[in-house]
Amino acid sequence: MAYSDKVLDHYTNPRNVGTMDKNAGEVGTGLVGAPECGDVMKLQIRVNPETKIIEDAKFKTFGCGSAIASSSLATEWVKGKTVEEALAIKNTDIVKELSLPPVKIHCSVLAEDAIRAAISDWKKKQA
Amino acid sequence: MSEQNAGLKTAPMQLQVIQERQLSQHQCWSCGDMRAEHFCAACGHMQPAEPTDFFSFFGLPRKLEVDEAALEKEFYQLSRKLHPDLYSRASAREQHWSLEKTSQLNDAFRTLKDPITRTEYLLNLEGIQLEEQSKVATEQARAFGVEKKQTVPAELLEEAFELNMMLEEAKAGGVDDDLRAQLVATRDSLTARLGRMQDELRAAWKKWDNGNRAAIDEMVDVLNRRSYLSNLVRDLQEVLS
Ligand code: FES
Repeated sequence: MAYSDKVLDHYTNPRNVGTMDKNAGEVGTGLVGAPECGDVMKLQIRVNPETKIIEDAKFKTFGCGSAIASSSLATEWVKGKTVEEALAIKNTDIVKELSLPPVKIHCSVLAEDAIRAAISDWKKKQA
Repeated sequence: MSEQNAGLKTAPMQLQVIQERQLSQHQCWSCGDMRAEHFCAACGHMQPAEPTDFFSFFGLPRKLEVDEAALEKEFYQLSRKLHPDLYSRASAREQHWSLEKTSQLNDAFRTLKDPITRTEYLLNLEGIQLEEQSKVATEQARAFGVEKKQTVPAELLEEAFELNMMLEEAKAGGVDDDLRAQLVATRDSLTARLGRMQDELRAAWKKWDNGNRAAIDEMVDVLNRRSYLSNLVRDLQEVLS
């Protein structure tokens, strides 16, 4: 499979790989999987309690190049956005940005799922 | 042409191989008789290649309990009888059919001989798009502003993630004897779990074969959980070898 330049860039030079303390109150963690291929992805966000802006994001993905690139891109995109703005990110935006082929759509879905799961984990902690 | 076709006279015998054939009756293009499946029962001529699902290609009902040994035997017999070499001097359309049918045969056998791909294929025929399930669920969750339910239990995802972390460290830091023993034990227990999933799948097959459509959801569930475990076994194997 030929990866696009942007995928290759994120794949060889992934941004924001790492983990945060999942027990911290301002951290939201999303751990999601793609049943299609059995790959897993964890994405974490740190949210400023006052502004609700996502100040930092980290990911760790065990999966294909497209999944790594999608999650790397997702962390870049959510940073600096408010939680509500981040919820507007769709997998199709990622597909477009990375020029993913149809067979790799589920990899981008994984990244959207991870963002949403991280946000909902964070929201639960605020309740 | 007559020479090649002489070999095809055995066609009626071939029909006895698999009992549960659903015989589709068409008129033979060559002799006008009513024929069944790949060869005319009366004159033995190969019949036109038609688009067909893989179960029908083998004359099988859409059931999942398949006698794999009989299927394999059938495959070898058919590949001999449909072989393009036999038709090198036949009419252009027969040459074409033989190529076409041979490629159908190979695809059908490859798909049906394996329990997992067979199940996936059947689900697909029944309108279940395994490849699409995540996307569809995500779109629904997004549209309704609700949290998407992961298709497998959270513990399984945790387990897969943790094990992957461990494997990554093992790859970077090397595997000493203790770690190796631990990884071997993990691999063996995962393999045993995969075996139990196979049993679950077979139980669902039985239901399906008896006409219970609820079995579809069970099969999807097993296949989903299975894909995580089989990845892990594969990756463990890679580190261990
Ligand atoms: S192939 Fe599994 S996430 Fe891409």
